[in-house]
Amino acid sequence: MPLSRPSLPSAALLAGTLSAMILLAGCSSAVPVAGLDAEPMSGGTLVYASGDAEPSCLDPHVGGNYPQALLAGQFLETLYTKDAEGKLVPWLAESADPSADGLSWTLKLRDGITFTDGTALDAAAVKANIEHLQDPETTSSTGYLAVKKIKSAKVIAPDTLELAMSAPDNALLESFSMPWVAIESPAGISRGKEENCSAPIGTGPFKVGSWTRQDSVALLRNDGYTRPVADPGHTGPAYLDGIAWKFIPETATRQAALQAGDVHIIDNPQPNAIAAADKSGMLDHLDAPRPGASNRIELNSSKAPFDDARVREAFIRAVNVKGGIDSLFFGTAQRSFSALSSIEPLGYSDAEEFVTDAQTAGRLLDEAGWVDRDAQGYRTKDGKRLSLTFPVSTNQSVPAEQSLFEQIQATAKDAGIEINLNLLDLSSWYGALAANDYNLVSAPYTKVGPGVLRILFHSDSTIPAPSGYFANLSQVKDKKLDALLDEAGTTNDPAKRMELYTKAQKLVLEGHYLLPLYDQQNHFLYSTKLVGVGATTAVSSPTFFDTRFTK
Amino acid sequence: MAVAGASSWRSPKAVRWVLGRIGGAVFVLWAVATAIFFGIRLIPGDPAAAIMGGPGSQASAEALETARRDYGLDRPLVVQYLMLLGRLLRGDLGDSYSLKAPVARVLGELIPGTMLLAVLSLIVAWLLALGLATFSMLNGRIAATVASGLEIAAAAIPHFWLASVLIMLFSNALGWLPPVSTRTPAGLVLPVLTLALPLAGFLGQVMRDSMLQAMSGPFALAARARGESEAGLLARHALRHAALPGINLSGWAFGSLLSGAVVVESIFARPGLGRSLLSAVTVRDVPMVMGIALASALAYVLIMALSDLAERALDPSRSTA
Repeated sequence: MPLSRPSLPSAALLAGTLSAMILLAGCSSAVPVAGLDAEPMSGGTLVYASGDAEPSCLDPHVGGNYPQALLAGQFLETLYTKDAEGKLVPWLAESADPSADGLSWTLKLRDGITFTDGTALDAAAVKANIEHLQDPETTSSTGYLAVKKIKSAKVIAPDTLELAMSAPDNALLESFSMPWVAIESPAGISRGKEENCSAPIGTGPFKVGSWTRQDSVALLRNDGYTRPVADPGHTGPAYLDGIAWKFIPETATRQAALQAGDVHIIDNPQPNAIAAADKSGMLDHLDAPRPGASNRIELNSSKAPFDDARVREAFIRAVNVKGGIDSLFFGTAQRSFSALSSIEPLGYSDAEEFVTDAQTAGRLLDEAGWVDRDAQGYRTKDGKRLSLTFPVSTNQSVPAEQSLFEQIQATAKDAGIEINLNLLDLSSWYGALAANDYNLVSAPYTKVGPGVLRILFHSDSTIPAPSGYFANLSQVKDKKLDALLDEAGTTNDPAKRMELYTKAQKLVLEGHYLLPLYDQQNHFLYSTKLVGVGATTAVSSPTFFDTRFTK
Repeated sequence: MAVAGASSWRSPKAVRWVLGRIGGAVFVLWAVATAIFFGIRLIPGDPAAAIMGGPGSQASAEALETARRDYGLDRPLVVQYLMLLGRLLRGDLGDSYSLKAPVARVLGELIPGTMLLAVLSLIVAWLLALGLATFSMLNGRIAATVASGLEIAAAAIPHFWLASVLIMLFSNALGWLPPVSTRTPAGLVLPVLTLALPLAGFLGQVMRDSMLQAMSGPFALAARARGESEAGLLARHALRHAALPGINLSGWAFGSLLSGAVVVESIFARPGLGRSLLSAVTVRDVPMVMGIALASALAYVLIMALSDLAERALDPSRSTA
């Protein structure tokens, strides 16, 4: 037989060689790089390829996840948003003022804004949105949590709404900046869930044309758009005729389509592709880390062996994270030493707590009683191996991150700690968490502002939601921390708020409940033919209001 | 063609054959529905949470209760199972948890794309396999050895790998074809090739073997003695022999194409049954998984019946009449 089945290593080698060849070919081909002198023009349809999951409903009030936020940012707008400096600024709202006790807010809206169905944005519309979010039939999760403390809304003038609160909430405006709380046309909502899911009606620079499931959403320019976005490059409607928002789940295909010119911008590229693009100058790169929590590994403190603070610290001292990040992420991810994203102004960072130090790790493990070693070199105590369960969701983790976990596993082994990595699909992964069957876990969470700390570390969050999910995965139950987070969430004094959140973060970091890795990755690669990409919303999703093609 | 004659359809044997086929199909569909209904319940994960936008959603208790009631999940398992069978008997596939739309309607949108992909791939695989087999028959031993090697290699290529190589070659390096499936015919070329090449390798092996047998049989010897040319012998005699095992395998091949569609539709971002199955399983969308499995099973049964018919038509010794 002249040919035999290609063995896996040789197949991988062939694929690797081919991709290297193509990369080189791409670099040498004479495609002109668009410089500042290239002339921008109006019109054209932008083709966006998303690797995030296709939403099951385009109305971000229903459910409420990041893929919905990415899309909704094109056709819905929020009451507040963040400007280029990361400052919270009014958007659809004119102003919002709390009463002295924080139990009531007066919300004023801008004049002259209309939804794409022609109806006006007014106080009654915003009230209808809040009620829609709070209605169990809507099945909202993220947006529901954001407006949970609003007891009732009262229209006191066509452009003025009074919100009665069940408790003070100084994160309300941050909540209002999230796309899951974006404002939709009440007439659109009243069409019913199924219709509103397929084409929500908003005030954004684009509107939903049609949705071909598993293929694309066609977004059309809103010709009546007059209000500028937070940091506008121009006024009036968007330049683009529309956006074809395609769903291409396979990373390699997405990148190939971008290189072939079939699509103009992609999200979720692999780190090596970002590095190659940065180097070659063939593509532009937008790095927009998500707000809220950083990407981190949480240590389950509710059961052995991590119920012992010494073992938690020993684990953190034992593993080498930086080496893995440097080699696997090609300089596209910065090591984090904080519970919060680097774009959160109130984030507190402490590198000292995370210095890799094998000697200290060994001493701590000895003190905790893990002194013996078994035949494989793992530490044991009373004949039991120091073994950790680490369920990993393959749906939420890019290959580079899974490799990082494997490297962490390898360095932990040197310290005598066994890590059992279990690659699971999303549902099984949630199942493992709900069953408390984990010692280590890495879970994403996006929310604007430091209020996310309460969701992740307050003892209230160890109580599972009816779906079985709880967000405090390190299962910290610390009365002192609870008190700090409670007060930080309600104080009217910004300086006091900062002090309280800093104290709370110190407690969390010093307690060794988590191992921060890097910001939640939000990278975009796009054709150099595009200008004006990069204006982002409060949750770092791109907007294409100012985007143009160059001739 | 004996069985295709109009009169034979009224014969008791043919009627029994058709009834047997229908009975078999009903049994297969019932078995698939039952296996999936109980199989999915065994996997951890709350279906109500799946309805509420994924198991990680922090849906309120009221919302989950509403979802349970709306979808009948608050009833005992046996009742739910009987309700399912009742619905299926009425042809009602229910509503998808994740797409918030009737499964039947979604399937209606997805089936044509996947069937087009599968049927085209089957045709291309057939043409490639027959072409290669014929070529090797006419060109001596070395050609036969090379063809056999190519077939074995092709049959062993994993879809995922093949798709990546085809994209790199034809989209990136040469720039001839789009890497993403568009609605143009050009967008179909790479997905069809990805599915057809391994299948062609497999079919080719079988076809060439029976061609070889036919060409060395007593009939061929006699024909040669009558002065029949090799090409003529091949066209009039061996092709039919080669087609029989090919047709026989096509039912099986079609099933493998449907499973291959899971990979191919995901890689080339093509809407279809395979890609939907993957996402439906991930989010525990029970009605959707059920609908896709039933549609695939039905297609499989139909293709098996068709290949059976075609085989009987080509081979009178197996005729029903």
